[in-house]
Amino acid sequence: MTDRLNRFLAFWRHFPGAKVINLALVIAGLLTAWALISGSIDNPDRYLPSPLAVAASSVDMLYKGLLPSYFGDTISRLLLGSLIGLGLGIPFGLLLGLNRTVSDIFFPIMNFFQSVSGIAIFPIVVIWWGNSDKTVLAVILYTSFFPVAFNVLSGVREVPLRYIHAAYTLGASKFQVIRDVLAPGALPHIATGSRLSIGFAWRAVIAGEMLAGREGLGWMIFTGQDADMTSQVILGMLMIGLTWIVLDHYLLRPLEADTIERWGLVQR
Amino acid sequence: MTAKLVVQGLSHHYPDEYTGVSVHALDDINLEVNDGEFVAIVGPSGCGKTTLLNILAGLLRYREGNATVDGKKIDGPGPDRGVVFQEHAILPWRTVAGNIGHGLELQKIPRQERQDRVAEYIELVGLVGFEDRYPHELSGGMKQRCAVARTLCADPEIMLMDEPFAAVDAQTRITLQEELIRIAIATKKTILFITHAVDEAAFLGDRCFVFSRRPGRLRETVHINIPRAERNWGDIAANPEFVRARDRILALVREEVIADDR
Ligand SMILES: Nc1ncnc2c1ncn2[C@@H]1O[C@H](COP(=O)(O)OP(=O)(O)O)[C@@H](O)[C@H]1O
Ligand SMILES: [Mg+2]
Repeated sequence: MTDRLNRFLAFWRHFPGAKVINLALVIAGLLTAWALISGSIDNPDRYLPSPLAVAASSVDMLYKGLLPSYFGDTISRLLLGSLIGLGLGIPFGLLLGLNRTVSDIFFPIMNFFQSVSGIAIFPIVVIWWGNSDKTVLAVILYTSFFPVAFNVLSGVREVPLRYIHAAYTLGASKFQVIRDVLAPGALPHIATGSRLSIGFAWRAVIAGEMLAGREGLGWMIFTGQDADMTSQVILGMLMIGLTWIVLDHYLLRPLEADTIERWGLVQR
Repeated sequence: MTAKLVVQGLSHHYPDEYTGVSVHALDDINLEVNDGEFVAIVGPSGCGKTTLLNILAGLLRYREGNATVDGKKIDGPGPDRGVVFQEHAILPWRTVAGNIGHGLELQKIPRQERQDRVAEYIELVGLVGFEDRYPHELSGGMKQRCAVARTLCADPEIMLMDEPFAAVDAQTRITLQEELIRIAIATKKTILFITHAVDEAAFLGDRCFVFSRRPGRLRETVHINIPRAERNWGDIAANPEFVRARDRILALVREEVIADDR
């Protein structure tokens, strides 16, 4: 009996579709557990609506056009904020790395700021600019700027000094040193830092929409709670997680892995 | 002959961040290198050779004394002084051709002219067929050839070389030394070549400056009157001028080392 089980497990490990089926089974299990719990409590619509109720609410919101609109709001906010954050953070990290003394001073400072998360700076920005789009964007910018800038700075500090010296003796200007030595030398850190930054920005977008009361998925969760529409809250949470998985798994991770792998070949 | 490079009363102290006691690396160096001359500098390890080279390259600031090229005070790095570093410093993310042409790229030389010059230097250092390889695909000797070609291709007035062949195997080193003589004949560059190998200094240099142990002082200048065309390892060992120069340099270096042991 155990022999046959072992043979089946061995076959299953090598079966190409096994991963997908395993995942589907786990998800089905989770959904079942969710449905069972939901069915066994009082007033599930308030405390834990069933998967079916959430699905119905998503159909309803799709039909009204609310879901696509909220989703679009959130994604465009993420893109705008994190692109500006990366666009400023990467050059800033490279620039700081140009001078050892400057970089020594800024290293702990950047480390400090990258650890004070988006949520923690929210209140002070709200005090400055109130519950506005500006506030949300500023927090996203802040959140995506520091992790990438800090990572790029760490990467630049690891570029061997002799490469920088070599470029200067060939007649390079500071800008040319950044372009030809620091940026390529720190490329794997730029890739890792960018992925981290976008991840932090994603959390900041949601928190921003909830706290500063804008449209978007965060707002959808917030109003769902206000209006006692728990299925809408759960739908929002699901959308946030699923979007991140798609973004991270199909875009950010492959980009990062690809960069690091190709760099490994070059640097070997 | 005109002096290309002049160093007067140059001393250098490294500050020590931790103990506060400074390291006295160079002491009152006075020397001249003539246009087109090949000068070797020999000295025990830690005597300040790299320090001197970094100062001449403009990579290290100096306060005591003076160093000039064509009468102009050295103040920062510049393409008039090319450097071949102790550990090869070609960029791993550029191909051989990309590395060799880097200096021209930085000077914004048009693409066509750049490619022609790069091809010329690839030929000169014997890297034909390796243009599109990355440094990690090259042997140690080939990396150094690439580094030499990169420096030459930027067309400096002076080549500063810091023990460039120390890390390659003996056989390759001999080949590289002979190639360097050939390059010196072909390009007529002024070359300052640092080494701790006595044979290498006597083989390459028109003159050899022997340095004392730290703090580095210029102990003696040894002249080596051998035409460049006669400098190949097949013949030179039997040349009495080479033997005399080598033995003199060796004696000076040994005195320094023995003094150090005491
Ligand atoms: N950045 C530095 N800070 C402090 N001391 C240094 C530094 N660089 C070199 N030294 C010291 O100065 C002396 C000369 O070094 P160096 O010029 O590298 O010698 P060489 O190239 O002849 O071996 C050595 O004692 C070395 O330890
Ligand atoms: Mg040295």
